[in-house]
Amino acid sequence: MENVLEVRELSKQYTKVLAADKVSFDIKKGEIFALIGPNGAGKTTTIRMISTLLTPTEGDAVVSGHSVLKEPEKVRQCITYLPDEAGAYKNMTGKKYLRFMAGLFSTDIDTINKYVERAENICGLGDRLKDKIGSYSRGMIRKLLLARAVMTKPDLAILDEPTSGLDVLNAIEIRKMIKKLAADEGMSFLLSSHNMLEIEFVSDRVGIIAKGHLLVSGRTDELKARYNAANLEEVFERVVNDNEIL
Amino acid sequence: MKFFNLLKKELAELLNLQTVISLAVTMAMLMFLGSFMSSTIEEAVKQEYTVTLCDRDKTDFTAELIETLRKNNAIVSEVTSDSEDFSQLLSTAGKDSIIVIPQGFTEDLNAGKAPELISVSEMRSAAMMSNMSNNNDGAERLIRNCISNVFAERAGLTAEDVQLINAPVSISEYTVVKDKTSEVSAEEVMSNIMMQNMLLPIIVFVLIMMTSQMLMSAISNEKIDKTLETLLSAPVSRTAVLGAKMLAAAIVAMINAVCFMVGFSGMMSGATDSVKAEFEGTAINEYIPIDSALEQLGLTLGGVDYVLVGIQLFLTIMICLSVSLMLGALVNDTKQAQTMVMPLMFAAMIPYMISMFADVNNLPIVIRLIVYIIPFTHTFSAIPNLMFGHMGIFLIGLVYQTLAFAVCMFFALKLFKSDKILTVSLNFGQKSKFKKAKKNENQ
Ligand SMILES: Nc1ncnc2c1ncn2[C@@H]1O[C@H](COP(=O)(O)OP(=O)(O)OP(=O)(O)O)[C@@H](O)[C@H]1O
Ligand SMILES: [Mg+2]
Repeated sequence: MENVLEVRELSKQYTKVLAADKVSFDIKKGEIFALIGPNGAGKTTTIRMISTLLTPTEGDAVVSGHSVLKEPEKVRQCITYLPDEAGAYKNMTGKKYLRFMAGLFSTDIDTINKYVERAENICGLGDRLKDKIGSYSRGMIRKLLLARAVMTKPDLAILDEPTSGLDVLNAIEIRKMIKKLAADEGMSFLLSSHNMLEIEFVSDRVGIIAKGHLLVSGRTDELKARYNAANLEEVFERVVNDNEIL
Repeated sequence: MKFFNLLKKELAELLNLQTVISLAVTMAMLMFLGSFMSSTIEEAVKQEYTVTLCDRDKTDFTAELIETLRKNNAIVSEVTSDSEDFSQLLSTAGKDSIIVIPQGFTEDLNAGKAPELISVSEMRSAAMMSNMSNNNDGAERLIRNCISNVFAERAGLTAEDVQLINAPVSISEYTVVKDKTSEVSAEEVMSNIMMQNMLLPIIVFVLIMMTSQMLMSAISNEKIDKTLETLLSAPVSRTAVLGAKMLAAAIVAMINAVCFMVGFSGMMSGATDSVKAEFEGTAINEYIPIDSALEQLGLTLGGVDYVLVGIQLFLTIMICLSVSLMLGALVNDTKQAQTMVMPLMFAAMIPYMISMFADVNNLPIVIRLIVYIIPFTHTFSAIPNLMFGHMGIFLIGLVYQTLAFAVCMFFALKLFKSDKILTVSLNFGQKSKFKKAKKNENQ
């Protein structure tokens, strides 16, 4: 199967911190890949480089054949990015927001309408879409943003902590939606999360990252077998501990 | 078009109900202020001939004097009181100014002495307009004339002689600007250019402040509301995102400027019309019309001048936009957003204030250079420079502003296209989010 994303030795040096150190991994079409790691591990930094928001100090990432260094605009055409802690324009209604964002991905009215309609169905906000976003709860905003991230059926949807701020039922719904989109539409996902249970349920493959290093990556069941662990949480604990000792 | 979509969004953010209402209110207030000013000036002009008299002499001569006042369009009201307490005198009369003709007035006059007249006026406030109506000048002048006529008659002089004594020379006033001359008084020219030149700096100042404030909040709000990353990850170039924001800010600032222009010219014309009415019938009408005098002096601006001023204004706005772009990009929270506008405000305020009270070209050289480093100074001095033919300074200013714009824009774009737009954090004392994260990590 072809690779939607190829990350090659991606590094990011902030003024003082080396936030990502030669991170490499691939994501295949229709695959859900999750980056897991403790706070400050470099997940968001890696994701931001793939989303063309930050320039890598070293290495490259190729999305659907386009390099983030050489063709950032083509990359952005192929991806959507849901940032961690993102907000939406408070003075817009939910519907206006979807329309505005759709208008950035396409100039064709029919396509825009199609995108908006999809997002409306996915977000499940119903009539509240006619209200100003300023009146939404955190969870509602998150759902709106998630719907907007998948409405264009990008080759790769990059979701930084997709279910943060959502209640259990909504989180389950979102996970199911992600799985369904990957299976039915062949969309690929790059997620990051702290919630191991969620990751175990939703992702095909995971990469464990700590202090900027991608320590291991592989299929969930493979990793569990390799580390002789009952669940991903244990795998995570062992991997992080092993590397701490080194 | 994607750019249009961006522009529409930016305009909608800037032109919400609140801003439109506040704009309408400002305009209405200015108009109201204009009509208020014109009515107080009219009042002041009218009141000059209203006089309250307290005649304590009560002779045929004083009665005749009062009659003369009446004949000369003075509205005279008489009160009788023997009080020596002037404050009480005013309050019993219910007036704020009063002229007392003391006992022995006619006697003194007949004895060939200059008789004494007592003029009392109350001061209620320090406002310029309110005190204009409080004086007895008009009546005093008339009485003085009457008395000098009496003396003249006694000395055997005719009315013509008196006139000659009062105006022994006739002065023809000329004003020279460079090599051009016109028969007009310098004060008259000044007051006319002033009105004209007061309006533009206000508009420019408003324009600068509005534009920078709007663009800065357009950018800082994206950061504060955490919408910037989503926007920048969409398939539009950062230049387009910036361009839309700049254009929207410029458009809305223009709308604001036009509204202010309408409001202010309403206010100014209210004020000037009534001042002109005051001068009606006086010697000023004997001069040639002021407009043609200004033209003779070369103080009017021609088509080319307007184009030049327009270019300068455009450059000013562009500088403003590029600087606020940088400042806006540095903002991370609402509190910073408020302080960040300060540098621009001072940069606009200093030349604005100076242009109101002084000519930059006459300042000491060191101060002049410092002031001219601020690009906006060139905007405020543009019209005076063009009017008085300082073409060299004007052109240097134009070149300087172009350079300033190029440099500012270069750095603004660089900042916006780099990681800095997302990673920069100005920490005035407070602990950085990242440092905190690091600390947690170490625990
Ligand atoms: N703008 C920045 N300037 C300097 N250092 C930064 C910046 N952003 C992140 N860092 C540092 O880079 C490292 C990785 O941060 P990053 O945000 O990628 O972590 P993360 O894995 O997303 O953490 P979390 O789970 O808390 O979201 C941290 O040590 C952080 O302090
Ligand atoms: Mg993160």
